[in-house]
Amino acid sequence: MTRYILTRVMLAIPTLLLALAAIFFLVRLIPGDPAQLMLGDVDDPAALARIRQELALDQPLPVQFGHWLLQLLRGDLGQSITLDSPVSDLLLPSFAVTASLVVPAVVVAALIAIPAGVVAGWKQNTRLDVAVMTLATLALSIPSFWLGLMFLLVFGVYLNLLPVVGYVSPLEDVWQGLSYLVLPVMSLALIEAGVLIRLVRASTIEVLGLDYIAHARAKGLTEAAVIVRHVLPNAMAPTWTMIGLTLGGLLGGAVVTETVFSLPGLGRLMVESVFARDYPVIQGCMVIVTVAYVSVNLLTEITYPIFSPGARDA
Amino acid sequence: MREGRWMTITRQPNAIAGGVLILIMLFGAILGAVHTPYDPIAVDFFHRLTPPAPEHWLGTDEWGRDVLSRLLAGAVVSVGIAGVTALIATSLGALIGATAGFLGGWFDKVVIALMDALLAFPALIMALALVAIFSSSAFTPIIALSVAYLPSVVRVVRASVLVLRRSDFVDASMVMGNSRAITLLRHILPNTVAPVIVLATSLFGWALLAESALSFLGLGTPPPASSWGGMLSDSRNYFADAPWLAVAPGLALSLSLLGVNLFGDALRDLLDPRMQKP
Amino acid sequence: MTESGKRNMRLILGMGGFAAVFVAILLVGGGRQEAAPARPFQIPLSSDIRSTSPGVNRDANTDTVMMHVFEGLVAYRENGTPGLLLADAIDVSPDGRRYEFRLRRGVRFHNGEPMTARDVVWSWRRYLDPRTGWSCLSAFDGSRGARIQSVEALDGERVVFTLSQPQPLLLTQMADIQCGGSAIIHPASLNPDGSWRWPVATGPYRLTSWKRGRHIDLEAFGQYSRRSGPRDGNTGGKVAYEPRLRWLIIRDAASRLAALSKGQVDVMPELPAPEMLQVRQLKDVTIAVRPMLGAYGLLVQDHDPLLADPRVRQAIALSIDRRAVAGLVTADVAGANPSMVPTASPYHTAAHDLGAVHHPERARRLLAQAGYRGQPIILTTNRRYPAMFNQALVVQAMARGSGLNIKLEVVEWATQMDRWRSGRFQLMSFGFSARADPSLNYESILGDRAANKSKVWDNPAALALAADALRTSDPKARQAIFDQLQVLMIQDAPFIALFSPPDVNAVHRSVTGFSSWPFGRARFWGVRRSTGAAK
Repeated sequence: MTRYILTRVMLAIPTLLLALAAIFFLVRLIPGDPAQLMLGDVDDPAALARIRQELALDQPLPVQFGHWLLQLLRGDLGQSITLDSPVSDLLLPSFAVTASLVVPAVVVAALIAIPAGVVAGWKQNTRLDVAVMTLATLALSIPSFWLGLMFLLVFGVYLNLLPVVGYVSPLEDVWQGLSYLVLPVMSLALIEAGVLIRLVRASTIEVLGLDYIAHARAKGLTEAAVIVRHVLPNAMAPTWTMIGLTLGGLLGGAVVTETVFSLPGLGRLMVESVFARDYPVIQGCMVIVTVAYVSVNLLTEITYPIFSPGARDA
Repeated sequence: MREGRWMTITRQPNAIAGGVLILIMLFGAILGAVHTPYDPIAVDFFHRLTPPAPEHWLGTDEWGRDVLSRLLAGAVVSVGIAGVTALIATSLGALIGATAGFLGGWFDKVVIALMDALLAFPALIMALALVAIFSSSAFTPIIALSVAYLPSVVRVVRASVLVLRRSDFVDASMVMGNSRAITLLRHILPNTVAPVIVLATSLFGWALLAESALSFLGLGTPPPASSWGGMLSDSRNYFADAPWLAVAPGLALSLSLLGVNLFGDALRDLLDPRMQKP
Repeated sequence: MTESGKRNMRLILGMGGFAAVFVAILLVGGGRQEAAPARPFQIPLSSDIRSTSPGVNRDANTDTVMMHVFEGLVAYRENGTPGLLLADAIDVSPDGRRYEFRLRRGVRFHNGEPMTARDVVWSWRRYLDPRTGWSCLSAFDGSRGARIQSVEALDGERVVFTLSQPQPLLLTQMADIQCGGSAIIHPASLNPDGSWRWPVATGPYRLTSWKRGRHIDLEAFGQYSRRSGPRDGNTGGKVAYEPRLRWLIIRDAASRLAALSKGQVDVMPELPAPEMLQVRQLKDVTIAVRPMLGAYGLLVQDHDPLLADPRVRQAIALSIDRRAVAGLVTADVAGANPSMVPTASPYHTAAHDLGAVHHPERARRLLAQAGYRGQPIILTTNRRYPAMFNQALVVQAMARGSGLNIKLEVVEWATQMDRWRSGRFQLMSFGFSARADPSLNYESILGDRAANKSKVWDNPAALALAADALRTSDPKARQAIFDQLQVLMIQDAPFIALFSPPDVNAVHRSVTGFSSWPFGRARFWGVRRSTGAAK
C-alpha cells in the first residue's frame, strides 16, 4: 500500500509540472499585461516601462519560468502584482472559503444521490424511478448561475430568510457563517446531485444485470441483502471516481456560485487574477488547484479497492 | 433483433418525449441557420422591451432585437457548440480510456498523468485564455470544453474497463485464443457503451450549461451574436420588467436538456445488451 | 470482523482522514478573522482594492475607498478646481516657480501625532523618489512640464516647493485623486525597511481592517480636524457622521442589486444603466446623478488606410445621433457632448455643443466621394464597462443607416488596453475617466504618436494650442484655446466624442447627505443613515 501511494505521488509530479508549465506560458500568451492595467487610462510610457522592469516582465519567458520554479522549490509563491500581498496569503483564505462551500455541497449531493440512484436503478421503470429521474434531470437542466440567482431572490430577498451577499467564516461565528453558506451549498449540491443520481442509477442497473447477482439471488439472499451487499459496493466504483472528480474539480473553484453569492473563493481569485493578468497569483492558484486535485484523486484511488477489490493491482 | 429493439424504444413514452424535444431543438437550429423572421442582431430603438405580440412572437429585448430570431440564431450556436463538444470528447475519451484501462502498464500511467494535468487545468482559464488569444468565436468554447471534458470520459471508461477486465467473459475470450485487440474491441468496448452514453448525454447537457456559465462570466459567445446562455445571462437585468427575456432562452435550454437526457436514457436501455430486464 | 466490515472500517478511516485535512485547512485559512458586531454603513464595491499605498498600486475602486483616509495639501472642489485642504494658504511667487504652503493648525495623524512641515517634506520627498513607484511622478519630475527642484520646510508650518519652470496646473495635478491626492502621510506608514505598512494619514476616516476579497472597514477618526464651511468636493468641511463604513466586495451586478433591494447595502455607486430600470421601481431607493468630467466616444485610428481619408471619419461622426446614443446608453440620464471638454466643466460653453451634427445623408455623400463600398470597419469594445459596449452597439446600428458596415469585435478589457496602447485598432469604443482640467482631457488623445502609440491625434496646430493651454493661467485665454481645439477636433475627427458619462448612485431613503459630484467617486463623509432603518 505504501509503495502504491509513493508511486502515485511520484506520478503526480510530472502532472504538476505539466499543468504549471502550460499555465505559465498560456497566461503570458494572452494580450495585455499587468503594467498596462495598473496604469488604466493614465497614458504614460515612462511609467509603463518602469513598472514592467520592476515586475521583471521585460525578461525572456524561459528565464522568468526558471526563476519562478526555483522560487517555488524554496516554498515561495512570490508576490501578487495587483494585490500588494504575498501570493500564499491570498491563497489560503480563498481555498478555505472554497472548501467550506464545496466539501459540504459534495457531501450533501452524495447523500442525496447514492440512495436515490440505487433505489431508482433497482426499481427501474417504476413510478418511483420516473419521479427520481425527472427531479434529477430538472436539476441538470437549470444553469447554475440561474439557480443561484433564483435562490438568492426567493430565499434572500422575497422570503428574507438568509443573507444575500457576503461571507463569514463558520469558525468566527457558527450560525452566521452557516447562514451565509446555506444558499450557495444548496444550489451547488442540487446540481451535482443531478449528475450523480444518473450515474449511480446507470451503474446500479448495470451491476444488477451481471451474472453473480443472479447467483446471489439464486442462493436465496433477500433482495435488500443483494442490493446492500452486492449491488451497492460494485455500483459505487464508477460513482466514487465521479465524486472524486467532482470534488477535485470544484476545489479548483466553483466560480459561478462564488460569483453569484460573492464568496471570496479560489475560483473568483483565479478569474479576477486572469482578468488583471496577475501572473504570480494565477500560477499560485494553479499550484493549489493541482495539488488539491491530485491529492483528492489519490484518496479516491486509494479508497477505490474498497468498492472494487482487485482493481488495485491492475 | 435490431428491429425488436427499436420497437422497444418507440414504445417508451420517455423516449418518445425525449425524441420529440430533440427534433424540435434540431429543427430550431436548422431553421435558425437558414432563416429567421428578423435580423437577430439588428437594433431597433423604437421597439425596446416590447412584450410578446403578433409582430414579435416572443417580444423584443433591451435593444429592440426580436427574441424569436435571436432564439433561433442562438440555437445554431448553442446546440452546435454542445453537440460538437460532446462528440469530440466522448469518441476520443472512450478510445483513450478503454485502451489505457485494458493495456495498463506504462501506457496507462502516462495517460492518467496527462489526464490529471488536463483535469487540474480549469476549463474556465482555458476558455479565457483561448478567447483572449484567438479573439472569440464559437470555436474557442468547443476546444476549451472538449479538452475539459475529455479526462472525465477517460476516467469513467477506464474505471469500468478495470471492472470488466476481471469478468468471466473477458477471461473466456482470452482463453479462446482471441487477441487482446479483438477482446478489447469485441468484448470490452461494447460493454462500456452504457456509461459512455450516459456520459455523452450528460456532456451535451454540461456543454450547453457551460456555455451559459461562460456567458454569465462574460467569456461566452461574443455579442452581439446570440446564444441561449448569453440571452439568459443578459436577461437577469430585466427580470422584473421583461420576464419573457428569461423565459424564452431558459425554456429552450431546459427543454433541450430534458429531451437529450430522456432520450439518452432510453437509448442506453436499447444499446446495452445486458440492460434488458430478466 | 467480516470482510465487508473491514472495508467499511477502511472507508470510514479514509473519510475521516479526508475530513481532517479540510478542517485543518479551514482552521489555517479562516482562523485569523474576528467577528463583526452591529452592522456598519455598507457600500458595495465591484472589485477589491489593490493596495493602501497612495498612488502606487491603484485603480478607481482603490482611489474611492482611500480618498476617505488620505488628504493632501490641496484637493478638488465641487467644480473640479483645486481648493485648500491641509494647506491654509498658498503664496505663489510672481515668476510662478515658488509655491509657499502654510499648513493648517491642529491637524493630527491617525496615530495622534500632530502634522508638521517636516511630515509634508518627508511625504513629498518620498513621492519624488523614483523608488517609491508613485504613478504620478512624471507630472512633477520634468517629463511632463515642470520639475520640482526642491521641497523645503521654512519652519514648523510652512513648506516651499521650487519648480524648474512655471506650471499653472501644479495644484490641479497635486490634487489628482489617481495620485492618492498626493496625501501627506506619517512615517509610521512605512516598515523600517521602507516598504509600505499601513496608512497613517489625516483623513476623516481611518483604515481599520482589510479582509481581502471580502470587505474594507473604515472608522471615524475622533481627532480629525475639519475645515470650516460646507463640504466642497474632496475638501471643505468633512464630517464623519457614520462611525463605521464598510465596503463589501460584490462582483456580480445582479447580486449587488439584490443586496440593495434587501437593504444589506445603503448606497450603490456606479449604477449601470441596465439596472436603473429596476432600481427606479424600488420604493425605498432614490437615484443621485451628476455628469462627470470624463468623455465617452470612439477613438479613430487614421493610420488605417480606410480611415486615413478624413471624409470617412467625418461620415462616421455624421452618421451618429449623439443625443440618442447618450439617452440609450445612460437610460436618459446624460445628453450629447461632441467635445472633449466635459459638460460639467466651466469651460464647456455653447461653442462646444456645435459639433453634434447628425446628418446621415451627408455622411452617405461623403462616403460616396471617398469611394467607400461597404468595406467592414472593426469597432473594438469590451463587456467590462457596459457603457462602452452599449455605445458600440448603438453606433453600429446607427452607422448602418448611412451605409457604413461596422463590425463589433468584443475583447476582454486587458486585451483592449493592449490594443489601445499599441494603436492596433480601427475604431475603439472608449471612455476616459474624469480629468480636472480640459487640457488634461485633450492630452489623453493628443501627442507625439511616434513616441506614444495610444495617441490618435497629432495635428501640429492642435499640439501648439494644447501646449499653450498648459502654460496659460488666464481663464479667458484658456477658454479661447479650448474653443479652437474643439473646432479642430471636429474637423479631424480623431476621437468622436459622444457624451459625458454620468455618475449614477442608488441611495436608500434612510440615507441623508449623499450627493454625487463630477469626479464620480462616492463620498461618505457628511452622510448618515437614520437609525430607524438600521438593521
